[in-house]
Parts: sequence; structure tokens; C-alpha cells
Amino acid sequence: MRPAVVAVPALLLLAGLLGACGVVSRPDAAAWDDQATLALTDAGSQVATARLALTSAAKERTWSPYTTVLVAEAEEAAAKAEEDLARVQVPPGRADDAAAVLDLLDRAAGLVGEARAHAVDGEYDDRSLLDDLDRLAGELQKAAG
Amino acid sequence: MKRYFAVLLGILTAIGGFVDIGDLVTNAQVGARLGMSLVWVVVLGVVGICVFAEMSGRIAAVSHRATFDLVRERLGPGMGLLNLVGSMLVTMLTFIAEIGGVALALQLVSSLHHLLIVPFVAVAVWIVLWRAKFSAIENVLGLMGLALIAFAVALWQLGPDWGELVSGLSPAEKPGAESWATYAFFGVALFGAAMTPYEVFFFSSGGVEERWTSKDLGVMRANVFIGFPLGGLLSVAIAGCAATLFLPQGIAVETLGQVGLPVAVALGKVGLAVVVLGFFAATFGAACETGLSTGYSLAQYFGFPWGKFVRPKEAAGFHIILLVTTVIAAGVLLTGVDPIMVTEISVVFSAVALPLTYFPILVVANDPDYLGEHVNGRLANALGVFYLVVLTVAALAAIPLMVVTSMGQG
Repeated sequence: MRPAVVAVPALLLLAGLLGACGVVSRPDAAAWDDQATLALTDAGSQVATARLALTSAAKERTWSPYTTVLVAEAEEAAAKAEEDLARVQVPPGRADDAAAVLDLLDRAAGLVGEARAHAVDGEYDDRSLLDDLDRLAGELQKAAG
Repeated sequence: MKRYFAVLLGILTAIGGFVDIGDLVTNAQVGARLGMSLVWVVVLGVVGICVFAEMSGRIAAVSHRATFDLVRERLGPGMGLLNLVGSMLVTMLTFIAEIGGVALALQLVSSLHHLLIVPFVAVAVWIVLWRAKFSAIENVLGLMGLALIAFAVALWQLGPDWGELVSGLSPAEKPGAESWATYAFFGVALFGAAMTPYEVFFFSSGGVEERWTSKDLGVMRANVFIGFPLGGLLSVAIAGCAATLFLPQGIAVETLGQVGLPVAVALGKVGLAVVVLGFFAATFGAACETGLSTGYSLAQYFGFPWGKFVRPKEAAGFHIILLVTTVIAAGVLLTGVDPIMVTEISVVFSAVALPLTYFPILVVANDPDYLGEHVNGRLANALGVFYLVVLTVAALAAIPLMVVTSMGQG
């Protein structure tokens, strides 16, 4: 096989990969919607996990380190969902939608963080926190469609 | 009496040793997102691993030689090398995931970050691989792995609507929010998790370690045909727990802590303690099996002494491989890579490597020079060929599905 036959496709592939790494693309509205849905679903899952972990601990069905690890991991994942979407370029004309979604995700990350603080302190049965988690999980699920 | 005890012990350790980190995570993820609609893939995978484990066990018992040894001799160094590279890469990934899984299990008890635990786990795995007897590794960890039966008890205690759960077995019951591409991706991942290549290498090399002969074929078949399917039921129970508790609440499984949560909800602290012990045993046992499998594979291909039945001094190369692979696995985990992500990748790449692993076994199992009167019968060959077609389809679909669905995200 002639070297050029191998070299040309290899160089094109390399150029394509470098191009893909180096260019910040502007997603279309549909792609942004998909990413927003994914982030909202992820955050909803983390909020529901934190709530389930706290209620299980309140009923003395889990031990303290287990609950702490579970809620701390949920906090990390909720924050990541928000960060991942915040990094995506908002399509033209969608700034208000994006702000609303990011606000919801920010509330989710904050509330799961609060749940983690309660878990570390061993306060598992704060009724208002559990209600807030419940309400926010519903809002996130509704927003995700 | 001794023989019955051997059969019972073999079956129990086969059940307890069947589930590893890939099965734990993938079954829980699938149950939480797709309910019971992919249980048929677990059944397909369990039958497949039974077919090929029986062949590799028969090869070991009759020829007294292990898989790579024969693959290289029968199919030549080129095919042998392809087989070695493909399965070694996947086994190494699985080894990393299992060590990470042990650390995650211990994190759930201590709340120490898993990165602080990884070095201690790696040292413990290496010491066990170096010093412990083969039978002790297999029996102790296999029996401890039976603690995962807690998932079946938890499923019963969660009190699902059994009719709904059973009707959910149909692929048509896939939740509408999930695409068919996602369904197919998780199907391939579950298949890869059930048919992980290291299982047959460990099984056949273990047969040589334990000096199986043709007289042991009955015990070996009992282990495979009773133990593996019962182990597969544990996988179904894990998926059932996740489908019952998580699916209605929209919770996706991303951590080992979530995998155990249904048991805590159903059985409380005692059940949780039992299942975390099961996590530890399943992942530690599989870490030993995958670690040994890397040593077995390389030593058998290059033809130097191997195994736990040889003194470490006489199998220095084999033990150096175990040490080096353990250091590499710990090193990769210490970069901060998420063990659950490594697990997800390992089960997908396991599916990619499946034909490379299982095709040579089918060829050797048909060679009368090695197996004499014990070569494959019609049924074994029919199933073997059927599975090679399924394995090839899964292998070809794995990477495109991984890209299209962004690792099953949607």
C-alpha cells in the first residue's frame, strides 16, 4: 500500500479530531433542549435520592456514614448537572428559558447541599427540608417533561 | 458424602461468585430506568456464559490445559495474540473497576473518600493473590458473596405488584421516556456484564489449578448449570429492587450507595450490613479473579509457569504480572477516575471483546486431538454457533450505541 494512501486519511482524521476539540460549537435549540432535559432529569434524580436517603435514615434504616456518603454524592452530581449545562452556549432567543432552567438547577444543588449538611449533623427528620426536597423533585420532573 | 459436599460447595460458591461490580451497577441502572424489560438479556447472557463455561471447563478437565495455552497452539500465535490483547484489555479494565468497587463498598461503612482506601485495597488484593490458596479465595469469598441474596429478600419485602412486575418483563413495557437506542445500549451492556470474558478464563484455569479430570465433569456441570443460573437470579433481584423503588421516583442509579438503598428501605440496618458485606465479597472476589486472570492469560500465552499450585519462586513471572497489574490498577484509580464510570466502560468493551474470547473456545472444544470423545455434541455446537452470532451483533453494536446514546444518557 502506498504511504500516501494511509497518510491522507490519517491526517484527515487527525485534523477532524483536533477541529472537534478546538472549536466551541453553538448548539441549535433542539440540542440545547436535550441537554437541559438531561440536566433537569439528573438533578431531579439527585434531589429524590437525597430525600430517600434522609427519610431512610430518619426511620433508622441506614447508618450515618452510609447516609452521608449517599447525600454527598448526590450533592456532587447535582452540582455537576448545573455546571455541565451552564457551560453550553445558549441558543439565540432562549436566554429567559436558560435562566429559568439554570435557576432551578441552582436551587437543586443548593437544597441537596443543605440535605448533606443535615446528614453530616445527623438531623434526618427536618420536615420542612423534606417537603422542600419533595416539592423541588416534582418541579424538576415537570420541567424535564 | 464428600462428593455431595463438593457439589454443594461448588454450587454455592458459583452463586455467590457470579455477581461482580458490573452486574451490580448495570442491573440496578437498568432496573431504575427500564424496569424489568431487559431481564430477557440477563437470561440470554446467563445461558451463554453457561454454554461457554461448560466448554472451557470440559477443555480443562480433559486436556489438563487452560484456554490460552490451547488457543495459541491450535489457532497460531497471531490469533492467540488477538485473543490475548482483546481479552486482556477488558480484564484489566474490569480489574480496575473491581478494586474501585471494593473501595466504594468500604467507603459506605467508613465515609472515608474511596481514593484514600484504594491503596489499602490494592495491597490486600495483592497479598491474597500472592499468599492465599486458590480454594480459599474461591470458597471464602464465594460463600460471603451469598450475602447478596439480601436483594431477593428485599424485593419480597418491598412488596411490589407482582403482576405488574411480571408483565414488565416484556420489551414492549419499556418506559416511553426512554428511546430504543438507550434500550439497546443497556441491553448490550447487560449482555457484556453477564458474559465477561474473565469468567471463562478464571473458570478453566481454576479447573487446571484444582487438577480436574474427566471424573470431575459432573461436578463441574452442576456448578455451571445450577450455580450460574441461580447467580443470575441475584442479578434479576437487583434489577427488581431498583425497578420497584427507583423507577416510580425517577431516580437514576449512579453510585454503589444507591444500589444498596432498596435493601435498607426494605430490611433496615441489618439487611444493609449484609448487602454491604455482599458488595465487599463480590468485588473483592472478582478483583482476585480478574487479577489472577491477567496473570493466567499472559503466562499461558508466553508459556511460563503459572498458577497458585506452583510455588511463587517457581512462577516468579506469573507473580510479577500480578504485582504489576495491581499497581497499574491502583494507579489508574488514584488519578481520580470514577470507578462506576470504569465499570460502565468495562461492560461495554466486554461486549466488544466477546467474539475474540469465545470463538477460539468453540474451535478448541471441537478438536478431538484435545478432547477425544468429549468434543462438543450437536446441542453444544448449535448453542455455540447461535451465541457467536449474538456475540458478534452485540460487539458490532456496542461502540455505535455508546456514541449515539452518550453512554446511555439519552
